[in-house]
Amino acid sequence: MSLIKQLWLAITTLLLLAFVGSLLIGVTSSRHYIEQEIEIKNIDNANALALSMSQMEKDPVILELLLAAQFDTGHYQRIELRDAEGEIIEQRTAGEHIEDVPAWFVELVRFDVPAGRAVVQNGWQQYGTLELESQHSFAYRSLWRSTLELAGWFALAGAVSLLLASWIVNTIRRPLRNVVSQAQAIGQRRFMMASEPRTRELREVVQAMNQLSYAVRQMLGEESDKLDQLRRRMQHDPVTDTLTRVPFLDQLQAHLNSEKEDASGTLAMVRVARLGELNQHLGHAGTDALLVRVARRLDQLANLYGYGTVGRLNGSDFALILPRHHDLEALGNDLAERLRSLGAELGTVVSLPSALCQYRQGEARGQLLASLDGALASAERQGEFGQVMVDQPAANVLFTRHDEWREALSDALDQGVLLAHYPVLDARGEMIHFEVPSRLRLKEEWRPAGVFLPWISRLAMAPTLDLAVVSAALADVESRGKAVAINLSSDSLSDGHFVGELLSRVRAHQRIADKLWFELPQSAAMQQPQALRTLCHALLGLGCRVGLEHVGTQFGKIEGLQDLGLSFMKIDGALSQEIESRGDQQSLLRGMATLAHSLGIMAIAEGVESQGAADTLFELGLDGVTGPGIREQSTNGG
Amino acid sequence: MQRLYGRSGLAILEEWFTLIDRLQGGDLDTQLREVNDFFNRRVRWLEDTQIWGTEDYWATPLETMGKRQGDCEDYSIAKYVTLKELGVPGSKLRMIYVRARIGRSQINQAHMVLGYYETPSAVPQVLDNLVPSITPASQRTDLDPVFSFNSEGLWAGGSSQSRADPVARLSRWRSVIERMQQQGFLS
Repeated sequence: MSLIKQLWLAITTLLLLAFVGSLLIGVTSSRHYIEQEIEIKNIDNANALALSMSQMEKDPVILELLLAAQFDTGHYQRIELRDAEGEIIEQRTAGEHIEDVPAWFVELVRFDVPAGRAVVQNGWQQYGTLELESQHSFAYRSLWRSTLELAGWFALAGAVSLLLASWIVNTIRRPLRNVVSQAQAIGQRRFMMASEPRTRELREVVQAMNQLSYAVRQMLGEESDKLDQLRRRMQHDPVTDTLTRVPFLDQLQAHLNSEKEDASGTLAMVRVARLGELNQHLGHAGTDALLVRVARRLDQLANLYGYGTVGRLNGSDFALILPRHHDLEALGNDLAERLRSLGAELGTVVSLPSALCQYRQGEARGQLLASLDGALASAERQGEFGQVMVDQPAANVLFTRHDEWREALSDALDQGVLLAHYPVLDARGEMIHFEVPSRLRLKEEWRPAGVFLPWISRLAMAPTLDLAVVSAALADVESRGKAVAINLSSDSLSDGHFVGELLSRVRAHQRIADKLWFELPQSAAMQQPQALRTLCHALLGLGCRVGLEHVGTQFGKIEGLQDLGLSFMKIDGALSQEIESRGDQQSLLRGMATLAHSLGIMAIAEGVESQGAADTLFELGLDGVTGPGIREQSTNGG
Repeated sequence: MQRLYGRSGLAILEEWFTLIDRLQGGDLDTQLREVNDFFNRRVRWLEDTQIWGTEDYWATPLETMGKRQGDCEDYSIAKYVTLKELGVPGSKLRMIYVRARIGRSQINQAHMVLGYYETPSAVPQVLDNLVPSITPASQRTDLDPVFSFNSEGLWAGGSSQSRADPVARLSRWRSVIERMQQQGFLS
């Protein structure tokens, strides 16, 4: 039985006890009082009548008249005069007049009043005994009336008490419900904070749970800081605090392999020319300072355009990936402008040539870097701030103008999306779900997402595409019965119409909700934690799972991570490149998996290139793998 | 008893117990005579105002014996109780209000005597404190009976005990019966 029910039961029982008890006491004491009054009246009237009769002549007619007069004008049930031997001389009786009182009530209270008795004297001798009973039928009626009234008042008081009680119960229940939901959330490893209720006992519980949540949050922050420091130490150039060559190239490779928006964009290289001379001229410390300033300038650019990565490829060369940006001209000018102003600030003669090119999904990294390197060499020959842009082979470009893209994408969306299927497997080789990146039919061919996603997001068509993908995925699950992970973009997350539409579609397919996994980029969690939280709770309520993709070491810093209720996270492919041979990287991934597990989050590695890497990752404690090296066992043949 | 009324109180009570022991199971005439004499000799007649300082106080036998003083109803109550103790049925004993002409004077006074009725319709024997001997009522021309009562009616309705009502105190007769029961008489 629930606590609230018990509370209600106790209150109702108490009220009933109090009311029935006071009703009983009320009726009993009234009955006693009435009995006493009638008894006194019986005794007194009997004595008074006997006294008058004693003074009278004992003529039968006179006695009868006296008795009749008393009976007729008074309120009596019976008056009897018996002689000394007990023979009746005179008698008057009347029946009971009990009207509109239920028989059971009369039976229940039934007065027990002794008759009044007195002796009539005739001189010294006893003439006879007078016995007299008063009419008390009226008493039943008034007692019944007062009982009804009392019951009425009690009903009223009871109703008021119940109202009051329901208010009290509600004030108890509301915080209690909050406490329970917090406890359940903690049970699901969602460490949320709750506001403290006013009830002392509940407050203590909530305080304890809040403390736990707080400790978890602290722990997350600390662990995540540690991981981040570890990553920095491993991957960052100690002088400029930019990525070193290997992790930078890993990142580039991850983009080139990606099926997402980041799959195409601009790659730029900047050289600090004649570094050896500068070193002699400025000294070691001066040169380091200069390098730092160049790196910061590039960082600024990366942050300005968003999603950018800066790396130091070697002593003098910096590189910058700016995904999703394709306007080489504008970027080049901006870059050159910044480098020039930096040169002016530095005052010393410094040469900062640069080169830019576009990259696209599927391109070979080596080729890309080689051509950019060549361009940089020719830029260096152009002068201090020379710049070269690598021309794009025209064949690679589907459309050139915005309106062309828009039209083509709308048409393609009207035709519908095709979903590719990439398996996500667990350590036993069993299917966790399919990743289903979308394909759109553009220029008579199904094109991978990397081709059109940058344009989708540039043309603000992300919500439309996402909804199309959701519909296709729902249909897919209905027909195949296999779980899928549906990508949602950050842009869609902030679109109210999209969120409402998404939820209603999922609700329409409630039956398969447990086969729907939704994933959002980590950047969405960093930038719009509140919107993510709302969506997460709504989708979790429907029985779906929500997770993050492209997760890096900073994931512990996501605001309210412990209370989002995430089911899984996919760790960025850049972190698991060539994992078998890199011990430092392994400890990083192990730490991330442990942290994720402490929150009840499943850790999955993205971009896994071989079964060997997958085995290593499972040893590190990851729960699932996906990527080009992962094939479904049935197609694999074992 | 000694605490309330001193040595003499205790002495009279002991005499009363002796009397009860002696008369227990004895012949009725002797019982009536001895009881009548016991109180008429030992208790001095006084007005209630002089004894108790209040108008018309009905004293219990214990109080009457303790004070060795009493007025007419105190004599009657004491005799009534004593006779009941000796096993005389209560229904045969009645307290009678009478109008008494005292001495040769024509002064009428309200008075109370105890009557013993052999049968309900018989002429009673009168136990009076003004006259030392017991005489049939018909010979007492100085007394006019007005009304009589005993404790029978009070206990009608089956119960043998007076109901311990607070209202009982409102009636003098019931009040004295209550007090007697508290003091251990009429059990």
